[in-house]
Amino acid sequence: MNETAALILLIEDDEQTRRFLKGSLSHKGWRIIEADNGKAGLAMIKNHNPDLVILDLGLPDMDGISVTKRLRQLSEIPVLILSARSQEQNKIMALDAGADDYLTKPFGSGELHARLQALLRRTRRTMPVSEVFVTGLLKVDLAQRKVFIADNEVRITPIEFRLLSILIRQAGLVVTHRQMLKEVWGAEHINDQHYLRIYMGQLRHKLEINPARPRYLMTDVGVGYRLAIDDVVTELAQ
Amino acid sequence: MLTQPNIPERATIPSACGVRGYAWGVAAPFICTLSVWPLRHLLGQPSILMIYLLGVFLVANHFCRSAAILASLLSAPLFAYYFARPIFSFAISDLENMVGLAVMIIVANLTSNLQDKVRQQAELAQQRESWANALYRLSQALAAASDQQAVSRVAVQHIYDQFGASSVLLFADAYGRMVYPDAEPLACSLAEVRLSDAQAVFQSVKVTRQAEKMGVFYYPLESSHAVLAVLAMQALSRPLDSEPHLGSFFDTFLSLIAQTLERLQLAEQAKSATLQAETEAMRNALLSAISHDLRTPLTRISGAAGALIDSSHDCSYEDNLDFGKVIFDEAQRMSDLTGKILNMARLSSGEIILHQDWNALEEIVGSALTRLDKNLLDRPVRTQLPTNLPLVWIDAVLMEQALVNLIENAIKYTPAGSPIDISAEKLTTSVQLVVSDYGSGIPKGMEEKIFEKFYSLETETQEGGVGLGLALCRAIIEAHGGSIQAVNIADRGAAFFMDLPLRDPPLLNLDELGMTTV
Repeated sequence: MNETAALILLIEDDEQTRRFLKGSLSHKGWRIIEADNGKAGLAMIKNHNPDLVILDLGLPDMDGISVTKRLRQLSEIPVLILSARSQEQNKIMALDAGADDYLTKPFGSGELHARLQALLRRTRRTMPVSEVFVTGLLKVDLAQRKVFIADNEVRITPIEFRLLSILIRQAGLVVTHRQMLKEVWGAEHINDQHYLRIYMGQLRHKLEINPARPRYLMTDVGVGYRLAIDDVVTELAQ
Repeated sequence: MLTQPNIPERATIPSACGVRGYAWGVAAPFICTLSVWPLRHLLGQPSILMIYLLGVFLVANHFCRSAAILASLLSAPLFAYYFARPIFSFAISDLENMVGLAVMIIVANLTSNLQDKVRQQAELAQQRESWANALYRLSQALAAASDQQAVSRVAVQHIYDQFGASSVLLFADAYGRMVYPDAEPLACSLAEVRLSDAQAVFQSVKVTRQAEKMGVFYYPLESSHAVLAVLAMQALSRPLDSEPHLGSFFDTFLSLIAQTLERLQLAEQAKSATLQAETEAMRNALLSAISHDLRTPLTRISGAAGALIDSSHDCSYEDNLDFGKVIFDEAQRMSDLTGKILNMARLSSGEIILHQDWNALEEIVGSALTRLDKNLLDRPVRTQLPTNLPLVWIDAVLMEQALVNLIENAIKYTPAGSPIDISAEKLTTSVQLVVSDYGSGIPKGMEEKIFEKFYSLETETQEGGVGLGLALCRAIIEAHGGSIQAVNIADRGAAFFMDLPLRDPPLLNLDELGMTTV
């Protein structure tokens, strides 16, 4: 498994948290480098070219949003945000600024590994257009633009398909409301959340057996949507 | 508006009957003399005396006693001079006339005395009635006064109406210093007072009844044990002791005002006492909840961590894993709890800002159930959300928290494996979300109590919780302008009805509504 060689940059100011994360991550075979503030972290990205960044939102020298923005100017590497409950809005802003996913403190190491794997998969398996996406009973033929549940074709509209393909592209990761609205309806509609509610509702009703207890199209309340994928689900259940 | 005071007119007071009375007292005998003079040959002396007596009687009837006596004393020489033999001389030769005159004077005196008393009593009765009316009006106005300021206004206005004097009610500030009221003064408010004089009266409890300084009187308004306020009043046009009963009428007037002030003060004290007791109870509940619900997980965490440190070499991998799990679970529980306490504090201090947007209840329900996956285990959750349910204008994060709390509550209080139902319905003015369970229900009479902060049905058990879950639910729903209530469904369990205000979501200005397929 080539993930074992992945290099992770941990930007976190609390030493104890760093220690516990480092222990837990190296236990899984990942290589870790650490920075305890934003500037040092950005420098390390240039120098070490890590595969993934874990970024704490409450850094002493820079806020997480500006770190994310500066980081995005440097590279396209996946960024996982660590946020406290009280940083709800900052978290969303950091995600909109280009971070790829988040974890709310406190979290278990099982959750952390699941997120990291999903993030790394996104970069390592840049999906060919022809590829067929499969998770559970859901099968999506991206080239043919066809969707199947248990091999029965489900007829969906172009907008629904675009929403679904955005989620597939980021499978296992959160996609914020604004990102989806911007991509499907354009920048002038980024605040029209009701568009999203209606279309995601329709999509849920077509793809889920029980739309009120979805299996694939998960809601991250207040943040966005996430397409649950098999291995992530099993990791989460650990 | 400055109204004319209606001071009772007392021009006919017997003791001071005035010039008119004496003028008539002088005039009456002469009128009698003139009117009888032409008839002197026809009438006998006794009849003439009777005419004089009539004159005196009329004077006594209309004016005061002194006027009547004056009239009778004047009548005597006139009669003697003009009618009693020898005529045109003051001498009286006739014994009969002498007796007649004496009787006349005595009768005049007696009748005028009698008249006087009757009149005095009538006037006093009238006066009393007017005072009683004044007191009645005052007490009615005071009863309607709900605060010090209102009492002040009523008192000043009524004192002006009744006594014609400007006045002002002075109260002490927080430091016990007399201050001039900052409310807008009435037209009849007294403006010039010396606060130091008022202060002296205020502090000398029960020593001075009043003090006069530079034409202003200061009266303490006392309750049974303290001076509540000081009334500063202009000197009256006639002193209080100038008439009987006026002083005691004035005292009654003041004591009515003082009683009202005392009533207000007591009501205020009772109110703040209740408030204080409630705050106290709340603080105690918070302390016991925190000490219990934060300490329990802390005890377990430190216990498990201690065991890991002490015996990591002796224990099996499974044991260590177990300790680790305890630490993880308990820490998670504490994190949840602190989140609830913080949210509650922010909601009750009004500090929280709702991030409201159009949301689908289906998503909120789905997300809440996903979050509670571990707690639900194999419980069947039956959801019934109509497809055409309108979007609601809510803060999704808080609403999810409310729903999680409700479902957690249902899990906590119903037997393992019993189902939980979640349904929603569009009503005329609201969207109603219902969470119901199949358990023993809510104890009778507790349907409201369970929403109180720090109230928990099972405070002593580990699962009892801090008693914040439902309080938080209510705070969240009410912050959205909605309502939540708990009811028992007979032979089934508890149901929580949440009503969220129904608003019209904006229309989609896109023609593509999922009609075209790929």
